[in-house]
Amino acid sequence: MAFIDIEDLEVTFEGSGRQVRALKGVSLAVEEEESFGIVGESGSGKSTVLRALCGLAPVTGGRISIAGDPVQMPRDQAFYRRVQMVFQDPYASLHPRHTVDRVLSEPLAIHGFDHAEDRVEQALEDVGLGSGFRFRYPHQLSGGQRQRVAIARALILEPKVILLDEPTSALDASIQAEVLNLLDRLRAERGLTYVLVSHDLAVVSHMCDRLMVMQGGEVVEELTREALQAHATAKDYTRNLLTASEGFTRDPALRR
Amino acid sequence: MSPLLSVENLRIAFPSRQGPVEVVRGVSFSLGRERLGIVGESGSGKSQTGRALLGLTPVSGTATADRLEFDGIDLRHASTRQWRKLRGARMSMVMQDPKFSLNPVMTIGRQLMEAVKLHGGKSEAHDKSIAMLEAVQIRDPERVMAAYPHELSGGMGQRAMIAMMLVTEPDLLIADEPTSALDVTVQIEVLRILDRLVSERGMGLIFISHDLRLVSTFCDRVLVMYAGRVVEELDARRMSEAAHPYTRGLLNCLPTITGDSRPLPVLARDAAWLE
Repeated sequence: MAFIDIEDLEVTFEGSGRQVRALKGVSLAVEEEESFGIVGESGSGKSTVLRALCGLAPVTGGRISIAGDPVQMPRDQAFYRRVQMVFQDPYASLHPRHTVDRVLSEPLAIHGFDHAEDRVEQALEDVGLGSGFRFRYPHQLSGGQRQRVAIARALILEPKVILLDEPTSALDASIQAEVLNLLDRLRAERGLTYVLVSHDLAVVSHMCDRLMVMQGGEVVEELTREALQAHATAKDYTRNLLTASEGFTRDPALRR
Repeated sequence: MSPLLSVENLRIAFPSRQGPVEVVRGVSFSLGRERLGIVGESGSGKSQTGRALLGLTPVSGTATADRLEFDGIDLRHASTRQWRKLRGARMSMVMQDPKFSLNPVMTIGRQLMEAVKLHGGKSEAHDKSIAMLEAVQIRDPERVMAAYPHELSGGMGQRAMIAMMLVTEPDLLIADEPTSALDVTVQIEVLRILDRLVSERGMGLIFISHDLRLVSTFCDRVLVMYAGRVVEELDARRMSEAAHPYTRGLLNCLPTITGDSRPLPVLARDAAWLE
């Protein structure tokens, strides 16, 4: 069995007499220390897979297991020791009135870690911020620095799995490169497993060994990085995504 | 032919505790009936430049220029009345996110027709609006006319927004990140619509974006802005010949589907670029 094993996962949101089936039977398997990507357009359910994995979405069917253990509902502490998430918008995912120190110390206190002081300093060092940032508030940081704090917060519990939901889409291109390099380095150093969700095929292709394309709550296909680079795709949907990612092409008839 | 728009030494400053801070520092360019891209990162002053052209600099800021001329009209000393005649009718602006720039409590139809009516043409407002929605490839214009913004997807909302800005047939359209909130496939469709309207109607287009690669495939000419200045002006087809290290850095730091360079080259900023 794979390290992260999801079978026939279904998520249904209910509200005001309407049901929305966000995931209609999604299965995926991620091996340990692998980096797995999920691509799709808005509304394809790609983020919902991550949210369901860490217990933030109403799962109505299917199974999820990590390292052979089926996950509990609600998730127990041991789960969060093992799985952590980094969210898309660093402007919204950090408490505006908590200092960086407090953001990083809280998970340590909850999970009863010792040497909290040293761990906070180390975590900041690891993401390339340094202890000078320890007593700053989020509004005193740039977008890239905030995302580094969010990554430090996820890493401080020494998890095995990091779920990354569009970790760089709110950042400028040059900052995106820095954050992607940081994530790459951390994975190599610590043997982490990544599940990365993005709408940007180039980011996924850069970061992930294997990827899955989603549309309307279903899996369109699974590809390896090599297959993606060679445009070896069986589905039109994926091909359209690939063409669109290459930029604008003028209709030859309209070219001036 | 004289240019549609000429800008010389545009400066925009905002007050701060340490005295005024200049966010745009001497930008000059001229625009004909073409697609001009302005590219830069957050805080480079690209959006403020676009806004200043329409006289939409926030009240706390001050915009000055040696020359700011649109089709022979000096915009620096334009009165409120002159502005009202220009904005919407002759120059208009598409904003980034349709969620925030459409009126949430008015139907698309009412908002569209309001634009037509304000600039003359009361009787044909409805037909014109429908025709415009068709021009931006909305398949069911009657339904969209009756819909409120929240009932439309992002791509539809942005098309409705573009329709609204173009229904008065302006000479100049400023598009500030018009596709950044959209999915890649929708983004290409919206660009195709803009592209067709520019070539068919002979409009001038200023396309503001952070995405250098996209801009280079779409525009004729590109201005690259860094810290309030234009550091380089380029022919979009000659992107690979970019000379300024900032432009080259921006191009190189993007991951590509086929490329396999890791770690990605990181942009090393040089204090000399600020000069």
